[in-house]
Amino acid sequence: MKTAITLNVNGKEYPLEVKANEILLNVLRDRLGLMGTKYGCGIGECGACTVLLDGKAILSCQTLAFTADGKKIATIEGLEQNGSLHPLQQAFIDEGAVQCGYCTPGMILSAKALLDINADPSNQEIKQAIRGNLCRCTGYTNIVRAIKTASKKINDQGRE
Amino acid sequence: MSSTRVISVDFECRSPRRLEEALEALNEEGSQVLAGGTDLLNNIKINAVKPRRLVYVLGIPELEFISVEGGRLIVGAAALLSDIEHNRQVVSRFPALAEAINVIGGTQIRNMATLAGNLCNASPGADTPPILLVLDAEVEICWSNGGAGAQRSRLPLGGFFTGPKKTVLKQGQMVHSVSIPLPSEHSGAAFRRLARVSLDIAKINCAACIERDGDTVQRARIALGSVAPTPVRAPSIEKALESRRYSGELFQEAAELVEEDIAPIDDVRSTAEYRRQIASLLVREALQEAWRRSGGKE
Repeated sequence: MKTAITLNVNGKEYPLEVKANEILLNVLRDRLGLMGTKYGCGIGECGACTVLLDGKAILSCQTLAFTADGKKIATIEGLEQNGSLHPLQQAFIDEGAVQCGYCTPGMILSAKALLDINADPSNQEIKQAIRGNLCRCTGYTNIVRAIKTASKKINDQGRE
Repeated sequence: MSSTRVISVDFECRSPRRLEEALEALNEEGSQVLAGGTDLLNNIKINAVKPRRLVYVLGIPELEFISVEGGRLIVGAAALLSDIEHNRQVVSRFPALAEAINVIGGTQIRNMATLAGNLCNASPGADTPPILLVLDAEVEICWSNGGAGAQRSRLPLGGFFTGPKKTVLKQGQMVHSVSIPLPSEHSGAAFRRLARVSLDIAKINCAACIERDGDTVQRARIALGSVAPTPVRAPSIEKALESRRYSGELFQEAAELVEEDIAPIDDVRSTAEYRRQIASLLVREALQEAWRRSGGKE
C-alpha cells in the first residue's frame, strides 16, 4: 500500500507515492536524485544524513518519508543561491574545514540550523550544535572556525 | 536480512489528526506508536521489532504540549526533547531535567525524540527515568474504549517499567503525558552520568532530589540507571538520609549503601564491577549538588 505525500524540498514541491517503510534519506537520494545527503551509519550516530525539517536539524535515515508529508525540507543542494555559495559553504572551503567531505553536508546543515537561531554563537555553542555530526578527518578545529567565520560574514552582510 | 540502509519489513502507516483516531488505530494487533522513531526505526531495521502498522503521533494537538497546571508540569507525549529542554518552566524549575535531556544524543536526536518515547523504549540505561523517578513523576496512559471515547489512567513512573525494554503498556494503549509536581521552595535535584564519549549511551547514570528543612535532610530520593533490569530507586540511601542533619560524611556514608539497591551486569558499555564501584561516587556527587541547589549550606 502506498501513501500520497508532498515533500517540499529546497522550495520545490514533489508529489510522491511512498511505501510506509520508505526512509526519507532514500527518497531524497534515490528518487529525487539529491545525492548530497549521505548515508553513514544508518542508526543515528553519525549525522551524515542530517537535513533540515521545518528549519530544525534532523536525521533523514531515521525518518520515514510519510512523516515528512507537507513539511519543508532543506538539503545541502538548496543552500547555493543564484550561483553563489552560502557563506557557510564558502567558509568551509576557505578555512580548510573539508577533507574527505563525507560529513560536510550534514555538518553545514547543523551549522545552518544553529546560525538561523543564534547569529553569533560561541565556540561552545557551535560544538554543542555539531555534537551529533561525526568527522573522522579534520579534528573539528577548522570546522568550528569555519562556522565562526561564516557567522561573522553573515552578520557583516546584514549590516551593509 | 537486516540492513541499516533500508527497511525490509512491510507495514502500513497511519497519520491520525486526532487522539481518538490514533487510539482506534492502535487497537489492532501489531499496531505500534511511532513518535520520533529514533529508537523504533533502529529496532525495525535490525528486525527486533516487526510492526504490522505504525501510528504516527507527532503533530496530534492533544499530545503536543508542555504546560503547568494544578501544581504540576505536564508534558504531552508528542512534545519533543529539544522543546522540553528549552522550555522556560523546565529550565527555571527543573534544571536537572533539562540537564538529563541535554545529554541524550546529538541535537538532531533531540529535535526528533520525545520524553514519552524515552520512557516507552524502557532502556535500563535511559537518561530521563532516574531524574523523573526522584521528581515523583507520573505517567498518564490512554486507550480507546470503543464508542465510549478515550480512557485514561495515571500511575507512578516506578510502576511503569516491568523489565529491560518492557513496560506495563498493553496493545491499544499509549502514553498520553508525563507529569511532575512542582518542586517545593527548599528542594533541589541533580543528575549525573558516565559514558565513554558524550554521545554514547550511559554506562551508569543517577539522579538525586533533596527536600531540606534548615540544615536537615527532610526527604531524599535517589534513582539510578543501567544498574538493574529497570531504572531503580535506592531506598537504603533514602532511609539513611531521612530527617538527618547535613554533613559531608553523612552523604558519603549514605552513598556507600547503594550496593544494597543495585544489581549491575557486564555488558558492551561497562562491567558490573566498575558500575558497583563508581555508583557510590556518582550518588555522592548528585546528593551534594541536590543539597546545594536546595539552598543548603555545606
